Formats: sequence, C-alpha cells, structure tokens
Amino acid sequence: MISAAALTLGSTPRDADELIVAAAGTYAEPEEGFDPLHGWGCGHMDYEPLIQSTLFKSADNGSIINDLATNYSVSSDGLTWTVNIRNDVKFTDGVPLTAKDVAFTYNTAVGSNSELDMSNLENATAVNNTTVKFKLKEPQSSFIWRLRYVGIVPEHAYQKETYGQQPIGSGPYKLVQWNKGQQAILELNENYYGKKPYFKKITLLFLDKDASFAAAKSGKVDVAGLENSYANQSIDGYNLVALPSSSANGVSFPMQYDTGKKSLSGEPVGNNVTADIAIRKALNVGINRTALVEGVLYGKGDVEYTGVDQRSFGNPKAKVNDSNIEGAKKMLENAGWKDSDGDGIREKNGTKAEFKLYYNSEDQTRQALSMAISEQAKQMGIKIDLIGANWDEIYAKQYSSAVLYQYSSADTFSLYMQYHSKEADSGYNNPGLYNSSVVDGYLEKALRSTDQSQATEYWKLAAYDGKTGYGPAGDATWLWLTTKDYLYMVNKTIDIGTPQNNTGKDILGNIYEWKRINENKTS
Amino acid sequence: MKYEKLWSFSGNGKLWAFAGKKTLKLISLLIAVCLVSFWLVEQSPIDPVRAYIGEMSITPEHKAQLEEYWGVNMPPQEKFLNWAGNIAQGDFGTSLIYRIPVTSVIGEKFTASLILMMTSWLISGILGFILGIIAGMKRGTWIDKIIKTYCYMLAATPTFWLALVLLMVFSVYLGWFPIGLSVPIGVISGNVTFLDWLHHLILPALTLSLIGVAQIAMFTREKLTEVLSSDYVLFAKARGEKGLNLVLRHGIRNVALPAVTLQFLGFSELFGGAVLVEQVFSYPGIGQAAVAAGLRSDVPLLLGIVLVSAVFVFCGNTIADIIYEFVDPRIKQEADS
Repeated sequence: MISAAALTLGSTPRDADELIVAAAGTYAEPEEGFDPLHGWGCGHMDYEPLIQSTLFKSADNGSIINDLATNYSVSSDGLTWTVNIRNDVKFTDGVPLTAKDVAFTYNTAVGSNSELDMSNLENATAVNNTTVKFKLKEPQSSFIWRLRYVGIVPEHAYQKETYGQQPIGSGPYKLVQWNKGQQAILELNENYYGKKPYFKKITLLFLDKDASFAAAKSGKVDVAGLENSYANQSIDGYNLVALPSSSANGVSFPMQYDTGKKSLSGEPVGNNVTADIAIRKALNVGINRTALVEGVLYGKGDVEYTGVDQRSFGNPKAKVNDSNIEGAKKMLENAGWKDSDGDGIREKNGTKAEFKLYYNSEDQTRQALSMAISEQAKQMGIKIDLIGANWDEIYAKQYSSAVLYQYSSADTFSLYMQYHSKEADSGYNNPGLYNSSVVDGYLEKALRSTDQSQATEYWKLAAYDGKTGYGPAGDATWLWLTTKDYLYMVNKTIDIGTPQNNTGKDILGNIYEWKRINENKTS
Repeated sequence: MKYEKLWSFSGNGKLWAFAGKKTLKLISLLIAVCLVSFWLVEQSPIDPVRAYIGEMSITPEHKAQLEEYWGVNMPPQEKFLNWAGNIAQGDFGTSLIYRIPVTSVIGEKFTASLILMMTSWLISGILGFILGIIAGMKRGTWIDKIIKTYCYMLAATPTFWLALVLLMVFSVYLGWFPIGLSVPIGVISGNVTFLDWLHHLILPALTLSLIGVAQIAMFTREKLTEVLSSDYVLFAKARGEKGLNLVLRHGIRNVALPAVTLQFLGFSELFGGAVLVEQVFSYPGIGQAAVAAGLRSDVPLLLGIVLVSAVFVFCGNTIADIIYEFVDPRIKQEADS
C-alpha cells in the first residue's frame, strides 16, 4: 500500500523533449549564481553558458567560429581588437542586444574578482550598435579565448548582487527556477536567434558523482557524469559514453639544481635529480603510457606527450617514442647514472636517482597514475617516492619535488604561464621554474602575434623547434602521461549527435544536435 | 536588602535573574565561539585563492586582485574587527563564495535544515519514548532485549553509513523514494505538492530519527524501571492497579518530563547528524554551506553560520534549563544531590 503510493509519486513523468542532466564537476552548481561575470560558464572549460550567448564558439576541430560576432580584426600593433556583431539578437526580455551590452559586459568583468582574468583589458567601447572595440594593455593573441567564453549580459538589467539569481541572456535557454544546492530548470528561449535545440526543457541536477550514478541506476536522469573509476560499470538502458577531453595529467619536474635557494614564499627550490636532463628524458622515453591508459583509465583516454597533444597548437614533433626501457637505461648510463652499490637504484657522484612525487590524495586516478609510474621507473633504476597530500602542502613543495598535475585548459595563454621564465615563482605558474630564453622568445612571439595561425606556429615551436623546446624531445620539462576522457551514462533514448573534439567536460556544448529517439520508451 | 528579598522570594524576580544570566551567558558564548572559529580559519593553511581557481593558471595581476577580494593580506585583527563592527550594526556581510548577503544564504539553507531537524527530532523523541516505555514495562523479557540490542546497535552506527544503506535499499533498488534533494526533479515550484515535499523529506528524516531514538529510549527505560520500583508504585500495586493502566497513570507522568528535557539537550547532536545526512541525500542545508565556507575561507559566511548554530544549540539547552528551573524543579534537585 505504502509502496504503491510511493511508486506513483516516485516516477516523475517527463515528456520526450525534457532532459535531465546530472553532470557534477562539469555543469556543477555556480554558487555565485548564473552570472558569467562571477563564474558561470567562464571557467576555461565550460564553453556553453546556455543562458547567455558568447561572441565566439568552437567548431568541431577546436577552431574558433562566430556566434554573436560576425567577424573580427586585430590592429597591426595587436592592441586593438574590433569585433562586429549581429544586429538581430534580443535578450529574453525583448530588448535588443547591442555593442553597448558587449562593452558593458567586458568592462564590468574587469573588476569582477572572479575566475575571469581580464587584467590585460584596458577597456571596451561600443563604436556603434554593432561594433565594439577592445583596447588591450599588451598584445595578446590568446585574448580570443576571453571572447570565446564570456556570456554577454544586458546592461539595462544587470545588477551584480541579483543578476545571478534571475539572469537575462540571449542564449538558447532561459532560467526558470533555481533550487539552490539542488537543481536548475531551464526552458527553451523561443526567440533564440541560432539553431533551436530539440529539448524544450533541461533540468541540471547538482548531485555529486556517486549520487549521479545512483540517480542513473534508478532511472531518474538522462545523463549522469561518472567518476573514471566507474568505467567498467554498466546500467540497463544506458550507454557509457566516453568523451575525449583536454584534461592532461603530467608530472612537473623541478628544473633547477638545489643551491639552497628559497622561493619568494620561503620554500626550498631545486632538486639535483630532476634537474638532470638525462633523468627527465629517460623517464619520458622509458615510461609505457599505453599501459597507463589501459591500466589506470580502463582504456578511456589517450596517451599524452606535451600536455596539448590534442590541440591545434600541439606539436607532434615534440613527442618521443616511449616504452623503451633499454633506451632509457642507456641514456642514464651515458649520463653517468650507474648502480654501483647494487641496490637497484642508480647513483651519480654520490647522488641517488631518487625523488619525491606529490599527488592529490583525494583523486584516485592521480594516485593510481603515480603508483604505476613509480613501479615502471623502478625498472630503470630510478626511485620515485610517492606522497599523497593536500593542495596546500603540494604547492609548498612544487619547486623542490615532482608533482602530478592535471591541466585542462584549452586556452593558449596557459602555455605561456606554464613555461615562460617570467612566470616562474610569480604565483601559481611554471612549477618547475623552467628558464629557457629560446622558449621564452617563442612564447612572447606567439602571445604578441596579431594573427591566430601565426600564433599557433609559435606555440608549436615553443614545444620543439628541432633543437630545443619544453616538450619531451627538447628539454623534457614535464613527464606528460595521459589525457582522460570524461565519462557519462547516457540514456539509450538520447542521441547526443557528434560532440565536439576535446571538450569532454562540456557535454552540453552541442545541445543543438541532441534529440530523443525511440520516444515511446521513456517513462 | 530589599532587592535581595525580591530576587529570592518573588517568582518574577527569579525569572528575570534567570533571563539576565542566560543573556549574559549567550553573549559571552557567542564572542568566544566567534573568536575561536576566526582564529581556526586564520590558522588553516588553506589558500582561498587557490581553492577558488583550482589548477587554472592565472596572471600575477589577477592573483593580486583575487587576494585582495578574499582579504588574504589583510591583518587578521583588522579583518576580525571589521567583521565584528559590522555585526554590531546588524550587518553580517557578504558571502565571498555565494556573493550575496550572508543572512540570505543562512536564511535559505537554515530553513531547509530546520525542517529536517525538527521533523526527525519529533519522530525520534516520540518513537524513542514509546520504545523506552515498552522496554521498561517488559524489563527482562525478549521485547526488552530486542529494543536494547536495537538501541546499542544504533548508537554505534555512523549516521552517514545508515543514510547510504537506506538510500541504496529504498531509493535505488526499491525505487520507493527519491534519490535525494528536497524537491522533485524538474518540477516548477508552483506544481510541487505538499505530498511531493513530504516524500522527499521522509528518508533523510527517517535516518536522523532512527539514530536519535537510541539515547531517549534507553533513558526512558532506566527511568521507568526506577519509577516502577518506587514506594508509591508499590503502594499502587498493593491497591490492585497493574499493567498498562499502572504505567500510564504513575509511570509516564513521572518519566515524560525528564525525557523531554533530555530531548532538548540533544539539539547539538541533531545538528551534527543533519550535516552528514544532508551530504548523502544531496539535501540543501546549512551543513553543506558550513563545509564550503570552511574549506574556502569564506570568513563572513562561516562566522555567520557559527553564530546561528550556537544560538540554536543554546536555545535547546535553555529550554532544558527552563524545565529544570521552573517546570519541574525536582529534576534539578536530583541532579544536585
């Protein structure tokens, strides 16, 4: 009796054109509200703010295409970007979207104290209704990414304290209800200027990953984001979908020798083992990355050599052939690393080939990756001591020990931050304190370039120019390991079209292509 | 002299003295609690900017800007005095994470938690009392043993574990209850019925209630046994009263008040349990907000929550004290002797 009553209550009947998504960590709840200037959709991964529209979008191959923008140009000094926008776009309250709104959005973003880094933007001005000019402090080719993921807000209806609760945008959907800590209900914006999605209503559920899985198991959601450790699970009526991403895991190496120097924050700097290029090269050549993908990621991922292999600005020439233990051993022998005391660990001038590797102990995948490479390194005579720790401890040790990081930025600017010597010890970037004037030069040129394809060439050269570079074929500054896929349980009645490449974290990026097939199967 | 007489002899005066003492206690408690929590947040090694941006690369300029927003480089005493000064004027500040006034965040989250906590508090109180009475009446029989075993087991069960088991059995496998949340998935507020809402409340409230039963049941059982072996019950028995009638007439009356008092003292445990249950059932409450505020150094929000929860627990204790002092002074005498 009770169960019968509960059953009728429990099954929320939903229409075929309603979609329920529980994708923690991807469409996670924006605590600050659905405000692009406070974080909604503006992280480097979340490309589709749904409620707002952006100036540009990504094409399937990762290149930039127009959304609100009709075209753009960059002045020859790289300091002024002019973007023309469509004249047929309206916000959901019926007011037309003009260049003034775009300028307002960016000028407000400058002081928003959010994830959005607009520190290089001097100001934005509307020249007329459809033209907006961005003045930069320094030329920055990666500024295109800032234009890529900031949702445009209406000047007439924006108030920093309240906008996030009741956002008005020009995106494919509008927010109709937000139960904080639980769900957001979006409905189709009937006046949307672009291709209208099939789904009239999307409910974003803010559940953690275990709860998402339980929700899929009980049939309550259409899409559920999964932890990578669930890769071999299956649920009746659901397909396991693995979307390639740009989330690369790699080990950062301290590049300087230990001379007793301290960082700005007073932490020790340098490591006499990892500062030796022979150790770094040997690991890059000796590690079997395919085994890591199979063993740790259950095959749901790809091998990674430069951290940006999958991107258009990745350089295939910077890669090396790996799983070559004999080659690695030879490199070590030639560099003077020999095991003379027979304990299985090589030495050179009294220094043992041994270093510490820190990883975030909360992340099972990172722990498993760390353990696997430590086992593999043993065969080469290199001892890696694993330390699972919290982030605050890890950051304090990053200048003197190896750290297993995950970088998932598609923004070229992160390359500059990761490898430029100017960024060493300036905050959170360039953990190994890498310092190469040649690479600095390429990074400068790439960043200051006014042409995207030219910039791409320089980003590639920074990885390897035939002699040097940050990649494994060059200075081997990192030991990049794998790129993991993002996993989802997707109800079999949903056709998710062809998701964009390498935006696995943003499963709703191509919501325009989604539809429900086999409609009578839904309950 | 005259005043002293008033204090000691007039009931009204006693009430005022009690209220005054309690108010002073509350104020000093709040100040102490705020100072300690603030000191703890300051001592934590967490870098709020890092916690906010994760593993993203940011420029030094941007980092400096965020550090200013989170008050990283502000001297702690300045930060605290700023906050305390505003509080004195009734301004709890703006949450750094949620970017809306702290009072709004607490208002939303605490209401949800309060409903959950109060429901389970009532259920566990009533259920525990009934079980305690039964066990006390049937002392030594198999019913008593079952109830006792049940209570001991529950007392040793972690709340979140029980929550997970209930969730797995009743929501995932049997599908009788929702997998969490306090509202039905994808339903606009206007269409959410009271039954929907109740349906979402049952499982989390049940979890909290089941755990809360143990203490009150065991207490009632002991107390009833005591009463049943007292002289006046012996006398009643001698007059021919027996069974349920005896317990109802002489037992429950004497056991109820101490049990209610104990139940009010359980406010603090209720709070701790609710935090864990909210986590498992994705139930939006004050617990989740407190964890986020602590882990991300949202000082205004954390201190706000600390204040509110301290007042909440204090209220429970005060009600218990009022029962001691005014409603049934016998309890106090017992405790004093």
